[in-house]
Amino acid sequence: MTLFGQRLRRRQLLRAGVAAAGALILPGRAPAQGGAKPLSGTTLNIACWSSPYAKLLTEYVPQFEEVTGAKVNYETPSFPIYNQRIDVELSTGGSSYDVLNVTFIYIGRWIGAGWFLPLDGFLMDPQKTPADWEPGDFLPGATAAFRDPAGKLYAIPWTADVYMAGAGRYDLFEKAGKPMPDTFDEVADTMKAVHMKDGVPAFLPENHYGWSFIPWLQGFGGNVFRDPPEDLTPVLDTPEAIAAADFFAKLLHDYGPDGVISYTYEQVVATLKAGRANYSPNGQIFLVQMGAKDSKVASTCNFSMCPAGPKGRFPGVATHGWGIPAGSKNKDAAWQFITWAMSKPMIRQMVVERGYSSITRRSLIDSPEFKGKLTVNGHDIVKIYLDTIALGARGYMKYRTIYVYPQVDKQIDIAIQNIASGQMGAAEAMRQAQRNSLAELQRAGIKL
Amino acid sequence: VAAEPAAIERATRPSRLVRATLPGWRREQGRDFALGLLPALLVLAAITLGPTIYLIVTSLTPLDPVHPQSATDFSDPAGNYRALMADARFLNSLWVQAKLSAATVALQLAIGLGVALLLNAGSRFLEAARTAFILPMVLPPIVVAVVWKVIFTPDVSPMHRALAAIGLPVHSLIADPGMALWAIAAADTWEWFPFTMLMALAALQMIPAEPIDAARIDGAGRLALFRYILFPYLRPTLVVAGLFRLIDSIKAFPLIYVLTNGGPGTATEVTNYYAFVESFNFSYWGYGSAIATLMVAGVLLFSWIIGRLGGEAEPDE
Repeated sequence: MTLFGQRLRRRQLLRAGVAAAGALILPGRAPAQGGAKPLSGTTLNIACWSSPYAKLLTEYVPQFEEVTGAKVNYETPSFPIYNQRIDVELSTGGSSYDVLNVTFIYIGRWIGAGWFLPLDGFLMDPQKTPADWEPGDFLPGATAAFRDPAGKLYAIPWTADVYMAGAGRYDLFEKAGKPMPDTFDEVADTMKAVHMKDGVPAFLPENHYGWSFIPWLQGFGGNVFRDPPEDLTPVLDTPEAIAAADFFAKLLHDYGPDGVISYTYEQVVATLKAGRANYSPNGQIFLVQMGAKDSKVASTCNFSMCPAGPKGRFPGVATHGWGIPAGSKNKDAAWQFITWAMSKPMIRQMVVERGYSSITRRSLIDSPEFKGKLTVNGHDIVKIYLDTIALGARGYMKYRTIYVYPQVDKQIDIAIQNIASGQMGAAEAMRQAQRNSLAELQRAGIKL
Repeated sequence: VAAEPAAIERATRPSRLVRATLPGWRREQGRDFALGLLPALLVLAAITLGPTIYLIVTSLTPLDPVHPQSATDFSDPAGNYRALMADARFLNSLWVQAKLSAATVALQLAIGLGVALLLNAGSRFLEAARTAFILPMVLPPIVVAVVWKVIFTPDVSPMHRALAAIGLPVHSLIADPGMALWAIAAADTWEWFPFTMLMALAALQMIPAEPIDAARIDGAGRLALFRYILFPYLRPTLVVAGLFRLIDSIKAFPLIYVLTNGGPGTATEVTNYYAFVESFNFSYWGYGSAIATLMVAGVLLFSWIIGRLGGEAEPDE
């Protein structure tokens, strides 16, 4: 049998498996005799931000429509636009959507305000969730983020994105005699050694510094809030925070490409894949794309854990999940979509066919298919992934699910831009961020 | 000499006494007109005044959709406005707005007028050129923003590559706090100078030929012709065009959203964008409404000025 034949057969088998699973995970909903489909006439409106996962899922949605007869309107706007649009939609009690991504930094706000349904009722009903769907298979650390204080679950995580580091032109590191840096000091030293070698700027994180800077802030011993969630006093003007901002902004200024502070996550991925920037601390969901077929650095890339600072290693762990907004008019059908999208066969298909790398089902993380896909250019990313998730369990990410974090997140963005662009020194910029964060939190009615 | 229509209207307008003694059918006619207009006026009020009134009312509350009860909390109606006066970011946004508005209006008037003068002649080539110059104005604003995003991203920009090729490399303009606002002003000017160009062209074509011919016969050069003949005719049009552009500059959004997101830092954060951030990033709808209310007041003021200047710009009788 030819290789193509093998691949075709494998794909056909996977698709058949997913279709069969689609029927099986919809107990009592399998196509009726005579060809009627269980969700014929139902339209589901679904949205997620434009993550690699959400874009991949676009290709598989027709399978769900085929099995169930539902019509799916599926949108994937960019991250800020998604969040703004959905925040307005939810806060006005809208009923336009049936399934929505619960964005990590909005968890506290959206779930706390009662804008999403608890999913426990669906999970405990064998008519709606078959036993072999195994909700307990999802990484506990990922699902924990979507639980309220009473333990009710509001979303099924489709990603546990971990903050790590990747170098597209690791060959330049090797030429300079440098390994992947493991500490902040080593990062500075290595960036100095490889910057503009072969015309490639050395350092490029995304310009959402409320995500990309925090591991550096915490690595220097700083934090966002004093003791979240109990004490939400911002602590952005501490000596540790100022030192971290100064260090990070210098890396941007000295070793970033021209206009480094204007690079969004999508631009960062495109630039890394094109080999026009080298080292990036970023989410694994983005960095592994350096190993994709269309990447110019697939044969030169390397990866490592997030570097450690003087006070330790604090890689970000972000999770996003599918939830059902309280205003949905098709709640049961929405749950059927979620059970289909997050079923083992569906996720396995995305891993095998498209190399989807940020999965949340433990049984699949341990599978040979996943380990095979997550070995990029000979480097084992699964170990980095699992080690980082284990670090995240220490609880230092609590700041990020605080419902007023988006306000502080924006102040951090502005502060780092001010420092890196030379408008302010680190101390002045971080003190301004502290003042403005306090004002924003007081505007939100938080007593500090 | 034929009487002026306005004079005729004044002379034939019934006095208050006469109106009071109008026959019944005239009064009924007036009432019927009013009744006929009423539905349209009500709809107009609902779709224009209604949201504005709601905006003003909301600005008197600390409305945040996480706390729906805040929609009716009028315990401190001036609270948002007081906070705004102490909000350094808001005050900075006004200054940024002033710089952006001044730069864009001045550039658009100068370039629009210059191009109009160049194109003010009758030939097929110039007609085609006029059409080409109008293109930026008719493009969707988001498309314009994406075009300039490419131009201002050094990594992929043909402009940056061309400048580097001739030995004049420039750093990223949108990441430079000293240049970012001017980069936006340049993009905005490219998009909107055709508006002033069109208005100036229309005004140029209304100028009678006699004074121009007379000036030429008297030996006036091009500069003198422009200064003493063309410009006085164009001035009212340019004032109105400038004020329209000023009002529009206050609504600047897509370019800033796509190119700089208000940055670096807050270097390009105009008031409109700040209202957006407070309302839709942070969901402080009450506070955002207060910013918007102040903007509406500013725009109304400019509209009133336009109305006055438009009246003054009427040709002398």
